[in-house]
Amino acid sequence: MKRKKLVALALVGVMALSLAACGNKEEKSSTKSETKTEGTTAKAEDGYLIKASNQDAKSKDNDLVIAIEGSVSSLDPANIPDTNAISATRGIYDTLVKFNRDLELEGSLAEKWEISDDSLTYTFHLRKDVKFHDGTDFNAQAIVSNYERIIDKENNLRQRRTYIVTNADGSEKNRIESIETPDDYTVVYKLTEAWAPFINRLTQFCVISPKALEEHGNAIMNNPVGTGAFKFQEWEEGDHTTMVKNEDYWGEVPSVDSVTIREVPEAGSRTAMLQTGEADFIYPIPSDQIAAVEGSDDINVHIDDSNIMRYVTLNMNLPELSDVKVRQAMNYAIDKEAYVQVMYNGNAKVATSLVPSIIHGYQEQEAYTYDLEKAKELMKEAGYEDGFKLTLWGDNTSQEIKGMTFVKQQLEQINIDVEVLPMEPATVSDKIYVDKDEAEINMWYVNWSASDFTMDGSLRSLLYSTMVPPTSANTAYYENPEFDALLDDGLHTADESEQKDYYAKAQKMAWEAAPWLFLGNDEVLYSTKSYVSDVYVLPDGAFTFSEAKLAQ
Amino acid sequence: MQKTMINKNITLKPGAEELPKAKNRFVELAKKFSKRKTAVAALIFIIFIILVAIAAPSFVPYDPGASDYFAVLQGPSKAHIWGTDELGQDVFSRLMVGTRLSLSSALIATIVGTAFGVLLGLLAGFYGGIIDSAIMRFCDVMFAFPDILLAIAVVAVIGPGMINVMIAVAVFTVPSFARIIRSATLSVKSQLYIEVARSLGCSNTRILFVHVFPGTIQTMIVNFTMRVGTAILAASSLSFLGFGANVTEPDWGAMLSTGRNYLNTAPHMVLFPGILIFLTVLAFNLLGDGLRDTLDPKLN
Repeated sequence: MKRKKLVALALVGVMALSLAACGNKEEKSSTKSETKTEGTTAKAEDGYLIKASNQDAKSKDNDLVIAIEGSVSSLDPANIPDTNAISATRGIYDTLVKFNRDLELEGSLAEKWEISDDSLTYTFHLRKDVKFHDGTDFNAQAIVSNYERIIDKENNLRQRRTYIVTNADGSEKNRIESIETPDDYTVVYKLTEAWAPFINRLTQFCVISPKALEEHGNAIMNNPVGTGAFKFQEWEEGDHTTMVKNEDYWGEVPSVDSVTIREVPEAGSRTAMLQTGEADFIYPIPSDQIAAVEGSDDINVHIDDSNIMRYVTLNMNLPELSDVKVRQAMNYAIDKEAYVQVMYNGNAKVATSLVPSIIHGYQEQEAYTYDLEKAKELMKEAGYEDGFKLTLWGDNTSQEIKGMTFVKQQLEQINIDVEVLPMEPATVSDKIYVDKDEAEINMWYVNWSASDFTMDGSLRSLLYSTMVPPTSANTAYYENPEFDALLDDGLHTADESEQKDYYAKAQKMAWEAAPWLFLGNDEVLYSTKSYVSDVYVLPDGAFTFSEAKLAQ
Repeated sequence: MQKTMINKNITLKPGAEELPKAKNRFVELAKKFSKRKTAVAALIFIIFIILVAIAAPSFVPYDPGASDYFAVLQGPSKAHIWGTDELGQDVFSRLMVGTRLSLSSALIATIVGTAFGVLLGLLAGFYGGIIDSAIMRFCDVMFAFPDILLAIAVVAVIGPGMINVMIAVAVFTVPSFARIIRSATLSVKSQLYIEVARSLGCSNTRILFVHVFPGTIQTMIVNFTMRVGTAILAASSLSFLGFGANVTEPDWGAMLSTGRNYLNTAPHMVLFPGILIFLTVLAFNLLGDGLRDTLDPKLN
């Protein structure tokens, strides 16, 4: 009895405290909402959505902490599932060529390169002053052993698909005929046929120390050894990745002592970490959190164009979703303008094709303008007037859950009952990459950004017939030989206008077949302390930190 | 002591004219209860919450699933008295409609847990010996886990979902009930009227359910009330952690969980579900306190 009284007392105490705390917050927010009304989210010319008033702030240490929404799920650069993993591996590894901030190709481990007139021979001249973190020399042989590791079927690496094409009959063809090393610092690639995005794809080809590869094999995942600006220190999956400055870096030695990438799925916590200084850089900052940092004097919010495409895949093997009328009806039932507003506060664009407009070859399509009457009409024609049930999978981050809930609400209007099932990103992968006859997927709320910025990179993995799981991410199970042929033609032609033609036809074909719910294209939103410079997010959502500086 | 017992029994025995006394006793208890102001307030609050749970869908101003995408995260206003959430849904409507889900899950879980707990407690207390040892050692094992941890473990094994959360909450309700009812059973068992029933040739089952069980009801009611509070808290916690109600359902715990992302910009999203959970749990605890004080003859 005494104990119970104590409990009751304690409860009252807690209530008093929590009320007091809430009171404080409410006061704070009311002042904030005032600032919000005057400083609405108009995009500034120089990429700042909010520019901190105090640009002379100083960092208290020289360790960069980056907080991200998703997770770093791999540190093996040849086996990368997503953009966050690309970002993290780029600290430790270098590539032959890379994109700079303006998306122009520039040399990295290759000093210069030549392309033959028939576009079949690429000759790279390598840097001579480069050492791996384990002290061994970087040379042409390292390129060859990395390439051989990737195409070895035994290793089962995701990047293998870049070079090896699976034909419809299951046979395989290598896009690279040979790779030669006339001397220690020259590499010559010979292609089997013209392959326009080859050099763009090389921005994904990271060079791992051959000695470490020999030692660790595919466990290189946990023991990364590259030539990059940072040396690997620690990777705790699902929590953080840490790397420290490489004092012997061949380029400009990093200014910061270490970089830690922390995984913080809750948008609110991420924002709070930035405010308290626990994190120096956060990506993304959801637009509904911007009001929270407004008014702090040392926080910048940046906005940039992106090639991130937001969509929901529809498994066309399901009887209900096999009917194109149903898929189109679902597209008509979604208010894309509202999506962009509610999810991104207007800092995004409505999807107008299968790819965002900054992808080369983009062609605007006839919009599925929000039209409930038409949607209901199409459902009726398909015989599903009374609707049906579907599940919707996605990551369990706060922003993804919000998006999924939005889709559920929209589809309810045409009587489709959607069950939203948010899961750990790794669980989603496990459930998606299964054999066709074991597939349980209905719909997947997902996004894609092609890190090579090509049309082929944007579409092939997602919609090409042979790219269905477990091979790749064609989770719509869209299988159309005509579409495949158009993508192949586009890939093999060197003539730009001809290529544009093929891609225009391909986009129109897939857009009308509606294998996805086309939602929107993000703009990249990230936020930093004002003492951070040269950490930024590329349009594909990859963050870059190798030149980071923290003002001291 | 024994003597007074006998006297009491004897005076109660004779016939019909004594029946009104039982009614008097209820009035007496009601009077005693009504003196405890906090308990009365708690009871009124609980009745009110139950009415809300029953009637909410018919009186809330908005459909709990309806969104106004152009009025998201707005603070309390005339149009939305408790503000809107991140999808522009009315927080007041969702909380009111969510009452049914949150309250019924807690009630069902507690009822199920109580049923099993009482049964185990009766068996252990009444038969003693190896049955007693087995049941009590089992309960000790369960007691070794903190309540919420045990519930999380159960949900982790059987998977998330509202039904599973109810099972989890029921599971951790069982051992505490078993222990309490066992001790109540032990004291009832030693009473003379049980001895009398036995000497009259009643079967064990009859003695257990007709004579012993009613003697434990007081204890049961008090603990049941207290446990409902705990169950609401536990079910909300599990939903908060993402194990319970589907994210799209209006559940108090789930709403609190979503709201914490907007603590900076829209504190009303955590404030109102938080207060509601808090008050409801407090009310059940205070009511339990009041009932115990009323029903316990030692506390006259």
